[in-house]
Amino acid sequence: MSGPAGTLAAGAAGTGEAGVAGVAGGELGAALGRLRRRQRRRRRTDLALSIATPVALVGLWQLAADQHWVDPRIFTPPSQIAVAAGQLISAGTLPSDLGYTLARLLVGYAIGAAAGVVVGLLLGLVRPLRAALSPLFTALYAVPQIALLPLLLVIFGIGETPKVLTVVAVTFFVLEINALAAVRNFDPRLLEAGRAYGANGRKLFRHVLLPGALPQIFTGLRVSIALGLVVITATEFVASNNGLGFLVWNSWQLFQPDQMYVGLVTIAVVGVLLTAVITLVERLALPWLHHRHR
Amino acid sequence: MELAAAGVSKAFVTKGGGHLVALAGIDLEVRSGTFVSLLGPSGCGKSTLLRILGGLEQASTGTVAGTGATGATGGRRAFVFQDYSLFPWLNVLDNVAFGLRMDGVGRQERTDRARAWLARVGLAGFESAYPEQLSGGMRQRLSLARAFVTEPDVLFMDEPMGAVDPQTRLLLQEDLIRIWEETRKTVLLVTHSIEEAILLGDRVVVMTARPGRVKLDLPVELDRPRTLATSATPAFSELRSLLWDALRDEVERSMDLS
Ligand SMILES: Nc1ncnc2c1ncn2[C@@H]1O[C@H](COP(=O)(O)OP(=O)(O)OP(=O)(O)O)[C@@H](O)[C@H]1O
Ligand SMILES: [Mg+2]
Repeated sequence: MSGPAGTLAAGAAGTGEAGVAGVAGGELGAALGRLRRRQRRRRRTDLALSIATPVALVGLWQLAADQHWVDPRIFTPPSQIAVAAGQLISAGTLPSDLGYTLARLLVGYAIGAAAGVVVGLLLGLVRPLRAALSPLFTALYAVPQIALLPLLLVIFGIGETPKVLTVVAVTFFVLEINALAAVRNFDPRLLEAGRAYGANGRKLFRHVLLPGALPQIFTGLRVSIALGLVVITATEFVASNNGLGFLVWNSWQLFQPDQMYVGLVTIAVVGVLLTAVITLVERLALPWLHHRHR
Repeated sequence: MELAAAGVSKAFVTKGGGHLVALAGIDLEVRSGTFVSLLGPSGCGKSTLLRILGGLEQASTGTVAGTGATGATGGRRAFVFQDYSLFPWLNVLDNVAFGLRMDGVGRQERTDRARAWLARVGLAGFESAYPEQLSGGMRQRLSLARAFVTEPDVLFMDEPMGAVDPQTRLLLQEDLIRIWEETRKTVLLVTHSIEEAILLGDRVVVMTARPGRVKLDLPVELDRPRTLATSATPAFSELRSLLWDALRDEVERSMDLS
């Protein structure tokens, strides 16, 4: 219950500290300059390493295939994959497969996320509802969503609906669990402070509970986009004749490993980009999370 | 009578299924416009009593009068919490303006009022910082500003200067004395500093070790306006030793308890 002990306190007047960075000259300015340069250098090094490593691996792969250290019929050299990608793009199949997969993923994700957040928050707030449904949802989440596919196919036939629903299912459960946990683990002192300052009912939800729950909701959003991509890919393996999953599976069946690699790389890139977008949105939406200095 | 507790007890159910009696039969009356300081050993239930009087917590037994709505300016109450309880997602300015916002005060007005208070507690220039970027003492000053800006009729303060450095503390105490003497709000102040309790209070209430009861209720008949010089007077020293005698036994007992 007690706050940080002792004197973490700054100087008597707060005004000095804010000014330092701006007006610092002389030795202090030089020291700050060094600190900034060092931070920038480190960031540049990190970035260079994160790019250099995959580039080096691709180079190594190319070399290994060229030199027949590995079987180039199975480990198609990157140069050939690039050629295959060019062909698939100009034939229009790659863009169209990408479009199908993205549409299924994003529609399912949006529906699942919205429903998951609403239901999770509700379960967090309404005790009888939580008692009734939370254990059930946890049990259902433990069933791999892809295992629901045959059932969904039986119910909905072979249209878009069952494919989108597998994504809806996985996204829903991840967000429901995260939103519920965010409410359940909410710092009671902040709720008390909110109430003490006149936030009750709706206002308490809007101005205290929701902003405080957002970090964990974003964690759920980040996790579930990756899971959603896994699920839609697997779904397209078995129950689709288009989409990136179909591209990979079909190429394997026709023994066209170069095209299979194009599919795999595209899926990986999609995963990285979507995760990056969500991380960016989170940074913009929750600036306070990234201003911590310890 | 602004606030009155009669026979207030509070028991908590603990994790292991046992229970803990924090308060046992507290009688306390606080007249409007008086400043009451509350002293007591750690864990004796001061914060609990404050929360009950402020309407944030229910008493287990006994009655509490005067705790109605807890809206910041609607019910005219404001709190300075022991652990600050600042909202990490709001910047300094928005934290201060929170109570006003909940009361529907317009943006321009609440910004102006919040800025004025930030300047008074020495936080001008930090408007757009987040609480996590502040030192402990700065957070405490922020939480003082958040309470004062709502212009409450009753102010509940739980060790509001515990983490402020001694120099700032002196300045804030002087500030607090001046503001209080100008405005004469009803104030309940929990503190661990005997000097602070005397300097600010019209009365000093000493609580016993847990379960907390009222051990001593001492009027402070020192002239106002008070300044830091007041603490050099013989009358002040006399009160200090009276309070220390009462408190010392309880602190020792509370050490034995735990
Ligand atoms: N919500 C709670 N659940 C269980 N026990 C509690 C709860 N709140 C307080 N207590 C217990 O009640 C007792 C009194 O707590 P309280 O916070 O009121 O003490 P305090 O006098 O303010 O102490 P300090 O000076 O250290 O702040 C303590 O023993 C504490 O552990
Ligand atoms: Mg306390």
